[in-house]
Amino acid sequence: MNCGDWEERIALYAGGDLGAPDSSAVERHLAGCGECRGFAQGISDSLALLRAAHEEPIAAGHYAAVRAAVLDRLARGPSPWPRWLWAPALAAGLAVAGFFLTVRPVQKPRVYVAAVRPPVELPAVPVRPAKAVPQPAPVRRPRPQRTVAPKPPTPVEPLVVKLITNDPDVVIYWIAD
Amino acid sequence: MKALATPAMTQPLDGMEAVTQAIQAARSGDLAAFEILMRRHERLVLATALRLLGKMEDAQDASQEVFLRLYRNLGKVQDSGNLAGWLYRVTVNVCRDLCGRRPAETSVEAVEELASPGADPQQAATRHERQRALELSLRQLSAKQRTALVLRDLEGLSTADVAEILGTSQATVRAQVFQARIKIKCFVERYFRRGV
Repeated sequence: MNCGDWEERIALYAGGDLGAPDSSAVERHLAGCGECRGFAQGISDSLALLRAAHEEPIAAGHYAAVRAAVLDRLARGPSPWPRWLWAPALAAGLAVAGFFLTVRPVQKPRVYVAAVRPPVELPAVPVRPAKAVPQPAPVRRPRPQRTVAPKPPTPVEPLVVKLITNDPDVVIYWIAD
Repeated sequence: MKALATPAMTQPLDGMEAVTQAIQAARSGDLAAFEILMRRHERLVLATALRLLGKMEDAQDASQEVFLRLYRNLGKVQDSGNLAGWLYRVTVNVCRDLCGRRPAETSVEAVEELASPGADPQQAATRHERQRALELSLRQLSAKQRTALVLRDLEGLSTADVAEILGTSQATVRAQVFQARIKIKCFVERYFRRGV
């Protein structure tokens, strides 16, 4: 009989993992095979050693340190932000900052549109030729002192209305101040 | 998940009621009640994490994370009615995450972290040897074999419970456990024969 085929079942049997029929088969094999009995005994012994080591008490200070750290964290209260939100929030902030640093908005010149009235057609007015008046030589006047003086009223041009009659030889001019 | 019934977790009825009351009180912000919950389950969490991680400092970090997750999920735990099973599952997950983030240690220091009730040097030496053998044996295993063996053979959970905690089949757990037991046997025999 090849005992290698029994290894798995013996290892499970030693840990109590086999059902009744398989356990009986293993026990029958062990009864007749000294090598496999030694193998089973070795597994049982090593498991017993590990369990004994695992059951050794852990120093109370280690438990106390864990409790203190947890209670301290809880006493400080929960973070207003879920922990998973920090990374995306930080990434989004950096992306926005990078966008504004690299892509500056181009300032376009403003276009002002003035309201323009249509020109009013006025009747043609004959312009009298101006008389040549001798101009005196320009005299350099002293610079007036910088004082704020009220502006004189600007002269108003007289209104000239040309009335054309049926008779082409008769034209009436009406001049009003 | 049904409530686990293992030697480490079997509690009298009044104990279960006390746990339920403590969960209820902790949900309303009673930190003293939550401390009671931690005290009842701290050995389960810390010892399991220590065997899975092999280092007390890491095991303490993992335990803190497990209890903080417990506090945040008290409602779910109360609904499931199986605090121990929930704690085992979260402990395994947290330790798996920690293992992925931290490099494996080569020193054996868990031995120094044990309580020392007696001053008998012979006893202390024996305990020291046992702890060293345990720690080194577990390092012979793959992560899955180690987790299965710790839960099944050291914590004493049933194969069905281990399968449920690990989210796998019982056949897979049995395969991992039998391979782990054979490796452990070979290592322990070598260790005590040669004095590794």
